[in-house]
Amino acid sequence: MASASFADEAGDAKRGKELVGKYQCNRCHDGTGVESGVKPLEHCVHCHQDILAGKFRAPPDKLETWTKNLATLREVPSLSAAGKRFRRGWIATFLREPHDLRPRLLGSMPRFAISADDARDIAAYLVPNDPEPELAMSGADAVKGRALVEANGCGTCHVMTGAPPLPDAPTPLGPKDFETRPAVALAPDLRFARDRWRAAELVKWLREPRAVKADALMPQVPLTPEQARDIAAYLLTTPLAPAPPRAVPARLPVLERRVTWDEVYDRVFRKTCRHCHAEPDYALGDGGPGNTGGFGFAPRKLNLADYAGAQAGALDSSGQRKSVFAPLADGTPWLVASLLARQAEEAGKPNPEVRGMPLGLPSVAPEDIQLVETWVAQGRPQ
Amino acid sequence: MNRTSSRILMLASAIALGVAIAPRHASACGDEFVPAIDHRVLGVARAEKAMQEGKYQAAAGMVVRMFPEIGRMTANGVAAKDPLVGRAMRTLALATVRTEGALNIDSEIPREARGTWSGKSSEDRQANLTWAVSAMRRVNDVRKDDPAVQSDLGEALAKLDDQKGQAKKVLEDLAAKDLLASPEGYAALARLQAEAGNTGARDAAAKRCEAMAKNPAVCRVGAGGQG
Repeated sequence: MASASFADEAGDAKRGKELVGKYQCNRCHDGTGVESGVKPLEHCVHCHQDILAGKFRAPPDKLETWTKNLATLREVPSLSAAGKRFRRGWIATFLREPHDLRPRLLGSMPRFAISADDARDIAAYLVPNDPEPELAMSGADAVKGRALVEANGCGTCHVMTGAPPLPDAPTPLGPKDFETRPAVALAPDLRFARDRWRAAELVKWLREPRAVKADALMPQVPLTPEQARDIAAYLLTTPLAPAPPRAVPARLPVLERRVTWDEVYDRVFRKTCRHCHAEPDYALGDGGPGNTGGFGFAPRKLNLADYAGAQAGALDSSGQRKSVFAPLADGTPWLVASLLARQAEEAGKPNPEVRGMPLGLPSVAPEDIQLVETWVAQGRPQ
Repeated sequence: MNRTSSRILMLASAIALGVAIAPRHASACGDEFVPAIDHRVLGVARAEKAMQEGKYQAAAGMVVRMFPEIGRMTANGVAAKDPLVGRAMRTLALATVRTEGALNIDSEIPREARGTWSGKSSEDRQANLTWAVSAMRRVNDVRKDDPAVQSDLGEALAKLDDQKGQAKKVLEDLAAKDLLASPEGYAALARLQAEAGNTGARDAAAKRCEAMAKNPAVCRVGAGGQG
């Protein structure tokens, strides 16, 4: 049974645990086994969940506004029992080359500055044990597996790009068997199952997800061992058409009308950027990962919460202050290039020179990038 | 959400954690520990907003009412290390610079806090501007490598005859890297270039000011460098 080849290298699990703290994986993910390094208000997902649950202490009118606008970081996969599920080599590769794994989830794994050694060691921490012997899959029937996938309504939550579409059939389960919204949001594209799973772990998971991972959202569907093997055979071996290419949106021309800071701030920086590029004096000393540091990034000192802060630039990779409006080789201002780079990342074409912004979140709309680019071209009017 | 509201929200977040921004006092309410709220955080945010809107006198009045001793705080630089006091100092210093040392806030502040702020005499205005430069230096010492603070420092230095050389260097260096953070900073640079007879550099700085400024009046530069 062929699976995609990701070398399962041995690594330093102890160092990997420290790196989970350094990169603040636990700022979004639960189940890392690492509690330190992230203060309560730093946990992105908990904060958003508290807002949605009405538990965040803020004026009611603010809560109401935020609740209406809050679309991202509502749920993020838990990493608990990663070692009982995923291939170590896949984790190490994914950390360095994240891609959109969950098409129904806004946002994706951010692209951090993780070295190959760090990725290997984090993977070793998350998957500490060498795998059990691979399951013998002779006799497993992928055709029957497809029929079972359809009959059990797997398409209710999952897509499988490159395979014939999975029907969105009602599942044989009742509505209380699983929480639909987060399950749908977090259901990965089954196209990647052959990268992430070995047959042995996948069959166990299909039969009893919560025996593998206590907080699994995957419902338990009654399957015999043979049925689970048939489904695994389908997921791991069915031929897949190439994933349809995602187009990078066209870059819009600079506007003719005057664009001021107030408009750019209200439409772009306040909504998204300010969370990571804040003014530390008004955020208990924490200017966010993009200012005072976090997610393994050294402080970049970029404050997008006020006009003067934006003009004051950021520290580049050599620690020198540089204007965020400085043109790159093609003349595009660095700030604009970052926004465009995120669009490219979403299309599967990461720019090795420029990290896409916002980190891991949906790209800024083309019309809003146009606004920022116009503002910069006009000399950044207040 | 406007910037003042967002800063209020930060304060609310701190309260939710039971963390006061400046926990000097607290009270017990039954069994519950109630940290004191420092309302000056909101006040400083409002003063900064007033500055952004060009309401220099209003900004200065707010700061002096909240920190009546602020005129005596620059001696050893310790006060500027407190982020709140540092921001207040910077706001007041900038307001002083942009009103040429004549804040005219006597009617807004307690008598005992008035000092020389209103700048009724040229000596008072000079004293105020000297204080503003000293305050900005202290803030710059704390917030090292912050071009926004350096821009304000350069603008302040340009108001003192014996500091103009340093002012020009600070502002030129920032402008060369496109890190000069305010139109007023560019206007100050344009005036210094005019005084030095560098008409090309003057025009370039004035042009940057005009592109950035909400109020083009801040960019006026006379032939001799006067504002």
